[in-house]
Parts: sequence; C-alpha cells; structure tokens
Amino acid sequence: MNSFIEISNLKKIFGTGENAVHAFGPINLNIKDGEFISFLGPSGCGKSTLMLMLAGLLSTTTGHVEIGGKKVTTPKTDIGIMFQDSTLVPWRTVRGNIELQLEMRGEKIENYRDHISELLHSVRIEDFADRFPSELSGGMQQRAGFCQAMVHSPKTILLDEPLGKLDAMTREKIRSDFQFLWMKEKPTVVFVTHSIEEAVQLSTRIAIITPRPGLVDRLIPIDLPYPRNIEVKKSDKFVGYVRTIEEIFHEYGVI
Amino acid sequence: MALFNFLSFILKKIKPWVSRSWMFVGFFVAFFIFWEYSIVWFDIPLYILPPPTLIVEKGWVDIDRLVYYTWITASETVTGYVIAIVLGLFFGVAISFSKILRRTIYPFFVSIEMTPKIAFAPLFISWLGFGLLPKVIIVILVCFFPIVLNAILAFNSLSKELTLFYQSTGAGPLKTFFKIRLPAAMPQCFVGFKYAAINATVGATIAEFIGSDKGLGFYIQIVTGNMRADLAFAGIFFLTALGLTIFGIVTLAEKLLIPWHISVQRTEKNQ
Repeated sequence: MNSFIEISNLKKIFGTGENAVHAFGPINLNIKDGEFISFLGPSGCGKSTLMLMLAGLLSTTTGHVEIGGKKVTTPKTDIGIMFQDSTLVPWRTVRGNIELQLEMRGEKIENYRDHISELLHSVRIEDFADRFPSELSGGMQQRAGFCQAMVHSPKTILLDEPLGKLDAMTREKIRSDFQFLWMKEKPTVVFVTHSIEEAVQLSTRIAIITPRPGLVDRLIPIDLPYPRNIEVKKSDKFVGYVRTIEEIFHEYGVI
Repeated sequence: MALFNFLSFILKKIKPWVSRSWMFVGFFVAFFIFWEYSIVWFDIPLYILPPPTLIVEKGWVDIDRLVYYTWITASETVTGYVIAIVLGLFFGVAISFSKILRRTIYPFFVSIEMTPKIAFAPLFISWLGFGLLPKVIIVILVCFFPIVLNAILAFNSLSKELTLFYQSTGAGPLKTFFKIRLPAAMPQCFVGFKYAAINATVGATIAEFIGSDKGLGFYIQIVTGNMRADLAFAGIFFLTALGLTIFGIVTLAEKLLIPWHISVQRTEKNQ
C-alpha cells in the first residue's frame, strides 16, 4: 500500500521566548491508505495538537503534512473529524445533525438518505434518529457523532479521544461499532487515545508518543485478526501487546 | 348535554394549568385579601394606601383614560424595544465579527452601559420636546445595551469543537452564520431580550414622569399630586399588566424559537 498521509519534520511550538511551549516534534511518519493508526501517549504530549495539524486546523511551526499527495495548508474539507466533546448541535435531531454535515458541504440530502439509514443502523441508533441530542445518553451521542463524521464518506477520519468521556461498558460497545464501520468502508483512520487496550483492539499500527515534547518513539504494528472481539482480546498475543506497551510507558515514568 | 360536554372539555383543558398554578394563584389571592383587610386592621388612611377593591372601583370609573394611556405607553415601549432589538443584534453581530469594532465601539458601549441611561432623559425631553420620539429614544437607550452586550457574548461563545467542525466542512461564512452561529447564539441573545423587556416599561414610565402630557407615567404623577393613591395604583396595575404582557411575549417567542434549549426545557419541567 502507498503512503496516504506523510508527516515530514513536523513540529509545534506555542508562544515565543521564555514562555514558549514545545508541544511536540519533530515528527516524521508515513500512514498507509486504509490504515487504522493510533497515536498513543500520556496527557499533554501533543497528540490532539498533531491531529489538528493533520486536519489543517492549526498551523505548523516547522515541517508539513501531505494527504493524498497534497500539502495541507488550509482546513481539509475531505475528512471526517470527531472530538471528545460532541459536535452535535442541540437544535437538530440526530438525523438533522448528520444532514448538517452534508448541508454545510452543499451536498444534496436526497442522495444520502439510504446511506444515513445504513449508518444509523450500523451503530444501532436508528430508533433514535428523530430524537434530540439532549434525549440521548453520552454513548448514543458519540455514535451519532460518528455517523456525522462518516456521512460524506471521507477517505480520512480523525478521531480525537472520542470515547474519552464514556464509561467502560459503553466504550467497549462503541469500539466494536467503530471497528465494524472501518472494516466495511476502509477509510484511513487516525485515532488519538491514551487507552492502551483501546489502541491495541482497534489499530493496525500504534505510534507511541513520548511525554512532552511528544516524539514518535516507536511504531508497533498490531498483527491480530479482525474483528477483534472478546476472544481475540483474551488471546496471549493481545495481552502481550498490552504488556509491552505498558512497559514502555512505565519506562517513561507515566504509569 | 351540549353545555355539559363543553364544560367538561373546558375543565379538562384547564386542569393541568390549575394543578400547576394553584399555589401561585393562592398566594396572590391571599396577598390581596391581606392587603384589603390590613387597611382596616392597621387603620391606614385611604390617601396613603387604598384597598384593592377601591382601586378597582375607582379605576373602573376612569377606565377610558387608563386604557388610552396604556396604549400610549405601550406604543412607546414596544417601538423602542423592537428598535433596540434590531440595533442590538446588528451591532452585536458586527462587533463580534470585526476586530476593529471590538477594539473601538465595544469598550465605548461597555463604558456607556455603566452610565445610568435614565440620566439622559431630561436632555432628550429638552432637545426633542414632549412627543413620542424622546420616550422611544430613552426606551432604546435602556434596552439596547443589555441586548448588544449579550449578543456579543452570544456570538463569541461558540464551542471550540463546533468551530473546528464548521471549519472542516469548508462552508462559507454566510452558511456557517445561519446554520450554526445564529442558532447557537439565540439562548444568550434571549437573556438580553428578557432583561431589556424588564427595562423597557421602566424607561418609558420614567421618561413620561420627566416630560409628558399623556401615558401611564404622566397619569401616575398627576393623580399622585392630587392625593389620589387609588388611581395611582390603578395606573401601576396597568403598567404591571403591560410589563407582564411584553415579558410573556418574549418568553413565548423563546419557547417557540429555541424549544431545544435547556433553560426552556427546565422551565417546562418545573411547571
């Protein structure tokens, strides 16, 4: 597979002089087309900042990012993006929020009716399509948010700790939904997380980020079959990956 | 039979309202009964505090004048209030989206907000006379600042996530404004509208106190000068009704325009 996202010598420093904060970098990394890569690191290591720079929503201090052979200099509009806090607006229903993504892009809603229904069905919230976000649980809101991020079938999806505020059981359920949708459509996913188990369960590769200033210390390919269900999670190989990564963070002194 | 059906229909309709409001209505009734009898119990002279029944009786005799003056005060209040909303929203949006205006007009508005606007009332009366215009300007002055300051806050409070979301869609500023920024700003704008609605009748009444030949403020001042506390209270009742009507309309507009907002949902739940 070819490199789809190329990160070259990327560095971010906030502020200048004595007050300057070196967030991360320099980072060099190539991400393949259709890959599910996780940026795994402790809080404050610059993972989210890095993701915003991939989306063209934050300027770089040095270096650059190329997606699909094009240098990112302005906000990327052919991506799907999701954050820890929902981007659902409270004045629209779940369906209305998903349609908002299309309306903002000037797409015709009629062309996407079936796709929206499919997405809602795949994350099991089709019965809540006409409910407002305030009527949904946190988990349902994030599922709806995922449909919103996916509805225009982006080739790249950036997920910034989308499960960070959910309880353990809901996280587990939504992980399998994410996995299912990724396996079906195979977009390139950049997933930011600080959960080791989550990264191992979902990713084809994990980029281990050091504490600030964040650097890609190691790249760990995860050689486990999909779908990574409870059986796979119980396997020695899965547990081995989790242990290895835990030891790395133990060396950093963060756990 | 038809009458019975009609009555049971009406009863069914008002039952939820009664179950919600009986405490509030009960308190009001108790308050007026206490007022009525306290005049006798404490031997209060009628020119100091008349009982509610006397206020209604005397007010009814002067009802034509009261209704006409209510119309005058309502015209001043509503005209000023609506103009204040239009101007407040316009400047609120302009200041929120313009760095230059944020550094020039915004601090100026904040400084003026600290000045009691009503202090300008005698000046406007002396400049513009006793007509409708100076009262409308005073109502605009007392309503404009809470509306504009809340609008600025509203349009600058979009969450970081929603800002990043709309940027990632590549939508133009106009589309972003109407689909995201405006609806997101409405709840905070309504805080300003409601606060201004309370100010509006106050502004019109004080402007009429200072220089007018009609309106409820003028009426209250004249009848008080004639030691007619009963008619003054009748005027106050009409002013209260006017204020409540304007506030009620704004609250209704809020319920219709932003039924999804937590403040509206919470109010409905608590009722």
